[in-house]
Amino acid sequence: MTEIAGPQLPAITELNVRGRSPWQEAWGRFLRNKASLGGLVIVIFFMLVTVFASVIAPHSPLQLHSGKSFLPPAWVEKSTTGKTGDQQFLLGTDTLGRDALSRVLYGSRVSMMVGFVPTVIIILVGTLVGMVAGYYGGTWDNFLMRLTDIMYGFPDLLFFIIVLIALRDTWIGELMSGLFLLFFALAIVNWVSVARLVRGQVLSLKEKEFVEAARSIGVKDSRIMLRHLLPNILGPLIVLTAFQIPNLIILEAILGYLGLGLKPATNPDAFFITSWGSLLLEGQTAINAQPFLLLAPAVCVALVVVAFTFIGDGLRDALDPRMRGTQ
Amino acid sequence: MATYFLRRILWMIPVLFTVALITFVMMHSAPGGPWDRDLSARQVDPATQKVLNTYYGLDKPLWRQFVAYVVGDFTQEGKFDCGLVCGDLGPSYRVRGRSVQDILFEPPKGKSAIYSRFGYSMRLGFLAVSMAAIIGIPVGIAAALKQNSWVDYLSLFIATIGISLPSFVMAIFLIIIFASILHLVSVIPKNWDEIKAWILPAAVLGFGTMAYVARLTRTSMLEVLRQDYVRTARAKGLHERVVVFRHMLRNAIIPVVTILGPALAALVTGSFIIETMFSFPGMGRAFVTAIGQRDYSMIMGTTLIYVFLVSVANLAVDFLYVFIDPRIRLED
Amino acid sequence: MRKLFTLMGLLVVASMVLAACGGGATPTTAPAQPEEPAATEPPAATQPPATEPPAAEPGILRVNSVTFPDIVDPQKSSFVSEIAVLQMVYEGVTKLDGDLNTVPAASDKWEYNADATQLSFHLRDGLTYSDGSPLNAARFEYSFHRNIDPATAGEYAAITDDILGAAEWRGCTDSCDDEKAVVDDSVKASHEDGSDCTGYDDAACNTFTLKFKQPAPYFHTVASLWVGYPAKQELIEAGGENWWLDPANQIGNGPFVLSNLEQGVNAHFVPNENYWDTKPSYELDYSYIVDSAVAFEAFKNDELDIVVAAAEDLGTIQNDATLKEQYVNYAGSCTFAVMFHQLKEPFTDPAVRAAFSYALDRNAWVTDVLQGLGAPALTWIPPGFPGFKEGETRFGFDAAKAVQTLTDAGYTVENGQLMKGGTAIPIELTFSDSPRNRTRYEWLAAKYKEVLGIDMPLNPVEATTYTSLTKDVKTAPQMFILGWCADYPDPQNWLSVYWKTGAFGERIGFSNPDMDALMSQADAELDPTKRADLYQQAQDMLVAGGYVAFMWNNVNSYLVKPWVKDITRTPMDANWPGQQVPTSITVEAH
Repeated sequence: MTEIAGPQLPAITELNVRGRSPWQEAWGRFLRNKASLGGLVIVIFFMLVTVFASVIAPHSPLQLHSGKSFLPPAWVEKSTTGKTGDQQFLLGTDTLGRDALSRVLYGSRVSMMVGFVPTVIIILVGTLVGMVAGYYGGTWDNFLMRLTDIMYGFPDLLFFIIVLIALRDTWIGELMSGLFLLFFALAIVNWVSVARLVRGQVLSLKEKEFVEAARSIGVKDSRIMLRHLLPNILGPLIVLTAFQIPNLIILEAILGYLGLGLKPATNPDAFFITSWGSLLLEGQTAINAQPFLLLAPAVCVALVVVAFTFIGDGLRDALDPRMRGTQ
Repeated sequence: MATYFLRRILWMIPVLFTVALITFVMMHSAPGGPWDRDLSARQVDPATQKVLNTYYGLDKPLWRQFVAYVVGDFTQEGKFDCGLVCGDLGPSYRVRGRSVQDILFEPPKGKSAIYSRFGYSMRLGFLAVSMAAIIGIPVGIAAALKQNSWVDYLSLFIATIGISLPSFVMAIFLIIIFASILHLVSVIPKNWDEIKAWILPAAVLGFGTMAYVARLTRTSMLEVLRQDYVRTARAKGLHERVVVFRHMLRNAIIPVVTILGPALAALVTGSFIIETMFSFPGMGRAFVTAIGQRDYSMIMGTTLIYVFLVSVANLAVDFLYVFIDPRIRLED
Repeated sequence: MRKLFTLMGLLVVASMVLAACGGGATPTTAPAQPEEPAATEPPAATQPPATEPPAAEPGILRVNSVTFPDIVDPQKSSFVSEIAVLQMVYEGVTKLDGDLNTVPAASDKWEYNADATQLSFHLRDGLTYSDGSPLNAARFEYSFHRNIDPATAGEYAAITDDILGAAEWRGCTDSCDDEKAVVDDSVKASHEDGSDCTGYDDAACNTFTLKFKQPAPYFHTVASLWVGYPAKQELIEAGGENWWLDPANQIGNGPFVLSNLEQGVNAHFVPNENYWDTKPSYELDYSYIVDSAVAFEAFKNDELDIVVAAAEDLGTIQNDATLKEQYVNYAGSCTFAVMFHQLKEPFTDPAVRAAFSYALDRNAWVTDVLQGLGAPALTWIPPGFPGFKEGETRFGFDAAKAVQTLTDAGYTVENGQLMKGGTAIPIELTFSDSPRNRTRYEWLAAKYKEVLGIDMPLNPVEATTYTSLTKDVKTAPQMFILGWCADYPDPQNWLSVYWKTGAFGERIGFSNPDMDALMSQADAELDPTKRADLYQQAQDMLVAGGYVAFMWNNVNSYLVKPWVKDITRTPMDANWPGQQVPTSITVEAH
């Protein structure tokens, strides 16, 4: 056997390939998805607005301007009410002459938090309950589902009234101008649909082969639920999250309408002053007088919804193991 | 399987009882009572209040009131007045003289049951859910099959509007467009016997659900799209429609069905804003206003109806699960 | 999967069928009217294509009555929209005319005894119900009696408490035969000579007498109220608790007949052919649209002839040539004031109350908050009502004076807190939570901060909870806005009914024995001039004492189509313009 002189390969001393964890890969996929990136940008933008509202806003959101009520946006020459826009008030004014733009900017604080915080609690609690009920079935399922039936049934409104009134003047009620109480109440009332959704998904998934396989090799139940079932129900779960957020924003408005809203602030230095939900309510009655009072917060809510939807879709695509290597 | 469903139905009784108990306790701990009306109206004077309290049994201890509501109590003359177990939902505190089941279930004289408040709400709820399903599911499927195309983005756009616009805003917009500008319908629907009058209220009521259903279907379908068995089916040369409907949709529909059930219950009872904007003669208003007015019987009655509807809906959904995916087992 | 779709398809079809079925033919233009009275004409040619509502016909007046009545029973109703129905169907022994004078209605004359402790009405001859059956004094005996009966438990029953024995019987809970017997005697129908009546068919039963526990020379005005309307006993008893739901049971003696009452949707009236006075020349139709934006759309779409003009829509109305012409605005029947709790710090001190009143810029309030729908008020009885004092200027807006008054009384303001002698006195604004109230109290807080420098945190409370708070003098807020609307146009209703010790003023701890004495004297005074003067003195005492800060009077603000003519406007048009004298209105062809 003669030696054939092949191409000379360099001596491989170390592998110069940097290992990438699945999470890093997922993050990379997420960023490459233009839609989800856009969504992330919007959410970050609104978060910045939340933090820096007092700096960005041209006026104090509480400052009344006598005689300047229902001014149209600055670019309007003559509105249906015969008024002209004023440069000072870019989006016009409300019934008491307060600057609409400033109020919308400040409104993002409450709305972003109301959208976020209870949602996190709802998703966590609902997923846990749904998983356990769906996976273990039997008495667990029965008990937990009957519990959700009860929770579904009792009147949310009554619950809000009791909780908010009873605890409003206590230390719990004072936390974050009453927002903590609101989040708590909203979370308690809304986790049920998540639980049911997750349960349904788990019921369908647990009979699949991969679960059977995992069980047969002795994988612990909790690991099955976390590592095998959870990623597969992520899709609908994310859609649900994306829908919970505007749901909560608007629910906060309706609660305000029924007398259970955030305590209105008189001090412009307070952090939480108004919310998009309240602005929507104020704007609805004034729809003929100054439609931008309604349009501005509605557009903000819509943007946040779209942003979260894109982020959600992007997340699901990024975390889907089947997508690996396809982008 | 039959025993499972029988057990589920029997379980409804303790659920209803628990809800009744919790609601009863909660509503009596809320400050104020049925005689504390809006300050712009004349208040009931103390003497009359006393008489009314005796008449409604509000001066009796709470436990006795609860028992009276569920089982019954003896009147001043010694007669036994049967309560919930006999189907009597109690007298309304606000509309004196009418009982709760009267207000909700009695049709106007000479008309059939579907003209009662409950009947109207049921019809509207069904119509809204049907619209949500009939429009939402196909849109979701199309968006999934043509991911990132104009169909997908258009559906996203409409879905966004559906959920970010509160119903009272959408209602006024639609009224302005369809009634004031296009003159296709009237602002005040005068005749609820015509299907035309039902379209706007059902659309506004069901729009949110429809958006949700569309997005959920899309997401579910996308999940399923990546599955191996879809590739196999396609590779087998099966017609696309067969692939979609027989293989994909069956799996994707589970989450949609899950939410449609309770959605129906919620829409039947949650039409408060629709009723306000369209003067719709349903029972949704009763749910909300009863709490503010502390109309105790109405609160109990509407709550129990709602729980009952939700329980039935969830039962139906679980039933459908088995239908859709035979691998699903409900008992363990 | 097929199955699922078939199921759903069936569902949709089923709901459509369910929705459309029942009722047979589907009319598209005129509403289902039971009969066509001769007055109406076929729909005019000018109709928008394929629309629903009753065509804009001459002879039908379409009004938005906003909230559907909870109950339409003369002795049990109390809301504005309920009264708006009752007023059309029934008529009392007296009624109000366009100038708010009490004029004959079912009775043609009345007479007080020497000291006004007894009032006798003489019923008109030949008076009938809308169905032709005779209407005699026994009917009124029944209705007044029913109002006082504790079993009825009507919300406005207390308004006739001047009647001897009424208050005692109403409040009685055990065996009440004695109390009832007293009322049997104080509310009596009889023949002209005083002998007893024999029943509802007794044509000679034309005298209706009331006895009072003290002189009540104003009671002929109270008798015009709906609590005395003569609904038929046999129909009430036959119909049971739900008698009022069926228009067939609402047989009345008013200008209209109730032809249709559809729960939550509609009330329809046709002229009463048996009405003793001028019959109305049109049919009346009430819609019940709660949302003002929707009602406005309906008005612009020619589906309604009269709607309330909301403050938010004023700008659009004023700027539109057509709508501007259709807008009416005139004084209402309510006064609103900032009530100060007389027993809670710091408002125990008249100086603080005065300062807060001086600090209140009522004109700005009317402009900013009410969008012009109101008029500043510095006195209690509103313009247009007997007893109104023109040119009152005490405690009007004067920012400098406000600050001065506080300083003079030894108060300082540090860091937004009102201080006296080193201690801070917190003031909080508690109110019923609603978007409208939030705007109002936010304005109030901002303005008081501006003028006086005091920070007042806002404390919105759920509506019913708020009501229960205000009912007890211990829990009532330190300061809150409250109003009073006239039940009937007499100073007695404004002053005695509200401000006497133990009456409505009690919730803020108000009690002024000197004023009580004046008011009691005025109540019993028979000479009208002296009476008016005494009431004026009482009102003067009220204003001078600076107990509350009078703030504004409301206005009636409506949009009326140009073909609705000859509306008699009165301040008491709480539901729609012209409701007090509906027979004067004509609806022209258009």
